[in-house]
Amino acid sequence: MNHLRWYAALVVLFFAGDHLGGLALQHTADQSLFRYGRQYAGQASADVLLIGNSRGLALYQPYIEQITGLKTFNMSYNGLPADAATALALDYLDRYPNLQKIIIDVTLCDRENDALLAGFLTYAKHSDRLNHLIKDKIPSSWWGAQVSHLFRFNHEIYQRALYYRNRSDEDWLLDRVISPELAATAGEHNYDLDVSKYLIEQLHTLVDSAKAKGIGVTLLIGPYFPGFQVNNLDALKDDIEKTIGTPVKDYRFALSNPAYFGDFMHPNKSGSMAFIDFLKRDGVFD
Amino acid sequence: MIFNSLTFLVFITLFFPLYFGTKGRLRIWGSLLASYLFYGWWDWRFLSLILFSTIMDWWFGMWISYLDNPADVRAQSARGSRTLQFFSAITSKISSLGWNRKSVLVLSMVMNLGFLGVFKYFNFFAENFANLIRALGLTPSWTTLHIILPVGISFYTFQSMSYTIDVYRKQLNWEPSLLKFATFIALFPQLVAGPIVRASDFLHQMQTDKKFEWQRFNSGLGRVLWGFFKKVAVADSLAPFVDQCFNAPETFGSLHLLFGVTFYAFQIYCDFSGYSDIAIGLARIMGYDFPENFRTPYFSRSFSEFWQRWHISLSTWLRDYLYIPLGGNRQGKWATYRNNMLTMLIGGLWHGANWAFVFWGFLHGFYLILQRAVAPVWRKGCNLFSIPTVISSSVEMGLVFTLTLLAWVFFRSGSIGLAGGDSFSVAGAILKGIGSLEGLQFSAIVNKFQAIKGILLIGLLLLVEISNQKFRWNTLQVKFPALRIIMFATLLWLIAFLGSFGSNAFIYFQF
Repeated sequence: MNHLRWYAALVVLFFAGDHLGGLALQHTADQSLFRYGRQYAGQASADVLLIGNSRGLALYQPYIEQITGLKTFNMSYNGLPADAATALALDYLDRYPNLQKIIIDVTLCDRENDALLAGFLTYAKHSDRLNHLIKDKIPSSWWGAQVSHLFRFNHEIYQRALYYRNRSDEDWLLDRVISPELAATAGEHNYDLDVSKYLIEQLHTLVDSAKAKGIGVTLLIGPYFPGFQVNNLDALKDDIEKTIGTPVKDYRFALSNPAYFGDFMHPNKSGSMAFIDFLKRDGVFD
Repeated sequence: MIFNSLTFLVFITLFFPLYFGTKGRLRIWGSLLASYLFYGWWDWRFLSLILFSTIMDWWFGMWISYLDNPADVRAQSARGSRTLQFFSAITSKISSLGWNRKSVLVLSMVMNLGFLGVFKYFNFFAENFANLIRALGLTPSWTTLHIILPVGISFYTFQSMSYTIDVYRKQLNWEPSLLKFATFIALFPQLVAGPIVRASDFLHQMQTDKKFEWQRFNSGLGRVLWGFFKKVAVADSLAPFVDQCFNAPETFGSLHLLFGVTFYAFQIYCDFSGYSDIAIGLARIMGYDFPENFRTPYFSRSFSEFWQRWHISLSTWLRDYLYIPLGGNRQGKWATYRNNMLTMLIGGLWHGANWAFVFWGFLHGFYLILQRAVAPVWRKGCNLFSIPTVISSSVEMGLVFTLTLLAWVFFRSGSIGLAGGDSFSVAGAILKGIGSLEGLQFSAIVNKFQAIKGILLIGLLLLVEISNQKFRWNTLQVKFPALRIIMFATLLWLIAFLGSFGSNAFIYFQF
């Protein structure tokens, strides 16, 4: 019987520690300067909202602010799928009514990413949309988070929140140049976009909600390394234009200098700046 | 069914009350059926293979004993079950055809290795033979077969082979109960990825009913939790970084690849030793003692020590049933070198049908030979220059670890499931990338978060393993309940906060 009492104590200790640990981790995530922490803390007011996956990080906000004078907020994240982006962006629209424009790199309709979605459990306490999305799409993770508070922070998203606790995340961009050896093989590589109707529908919801609030929306395809083949990109563009009814600005060939890329899919810092200059000339920020 | 799944949690929650709520044959039947359910959850068709292998080796054990002492087998059969009497009658008839003990043993080896050969190596040998034919300018007229590799076949085949060999060597009495023998082969904690439990270590443990003991439960549960931590928190957290490196090695710099290879060394260690910890812990709760399979192998100061600390149940199996019968180290220097190399080559091939595994075995064989040749000179040098033990030991440990890393590059490349040539090109790209010495700064690592998490987890693992030498945490927790609940709660928190719950299969399942 004595042993059973000790095991009962273990259960109590586990849940008490788990709860306290969860509170402490939530506090660090909320206090962080990481983008989603700032968003839910009410410190992400902007004129232009930038959305994308890792390619959306090329919409380098400090430079946009410098050349346009507009205040920006970039909510892009590596592999961010459109369903998570939509939940985050709709939350943003609720909290920041002064937003004027949204710029979206539509390649976030590439493929669903439930593994990343689970990471947003960190912020699910602040967002019914995220909470319901995670519950619907990955119930096992959602239930895990109901059992353990610590589990909600078991993801790279929380680790980034910890990393950016006292530092800005605005410089999150590739700063390397693709190696000449790898660049020379661009024609031998390709990437298959997995066009998701579900994600396009999610994006549709976001675009309609933004337009209903009088916010301008620009959909675009950012630049890829010259000669690198991206399959289904035209299909993605056509599907989006047909479903959402908004034209997609195609900048896949906007950068021709190999030195502007960190790899085949991502412009580096100088490439991003060149791309943003291109966008400005094209009137995207007007 | 894998340990790190919700299905297994339900399974084990139902199993233990049933196990301790029954006695005698009923309990053994329950254990056997539960083990078959555990295995059949993956693919029930391969149960027939285990069943056939079990009956075959049990019967070979009986047959060898009959040839040695027919009266004893007849007497035991007369008192035994109908199954036993049936097989005894067959044995009696077939033995009259002039078989001797050795020929039965050879038949047993041919059958066991034949099964392994068909299910694990058929396509490998067929492809390589076809390549040889093509190299001679001819066109082979056969094709490879679509053969699914049954999970754990190498483990249970070696386990049942050791029984027949031990009976042949008269180191073990034959087991009259097919039920007990089948349970020994199939017992679910060790069925699919070891440790390779030998009949001589286990069958005698089944002679008495095990009672539930809190001490065993506490100790076993501690081991299970530690195993889960190693698997889901350490191994599975390192896996994405490693996969990234080996999937596209040409896209990363030296430091990134070096991290990838080092992480793999710890991934495979935590994955496999984590499985062994869970298996040993579960068996301990059931009342059984399984042999240890790992003893902090990366702290080895020589390769012979490494093989006394890494996958101990396989290395001792190879030592007892291959290396020593080949002559061991008793027949002079060159014969010892040959025996070392042969044992390691077969050890490599045991892991899978790929030349990369064979090359991994070759490297370890080469290391063992090199060590035999160089170690005396090194020791003399250390004595001559009065090098402090702490320095010489650190150099030895560092060297063994570095060379082990080199061998892991080939092992991991073979694990991807590529053909032999492709495995070598992946390994070559990794080594070339590391050797290029480009991208040596930390900022060149592509996913720094995974890298930092990996470093912290490996640090924590090493801290526990080093402190365990002094404190023996699992023994301490059994003695002190307050320490136990703190340790268990800490492990559960770490698993919740750092664990990867994608139900990733254990690496050694494929072997």
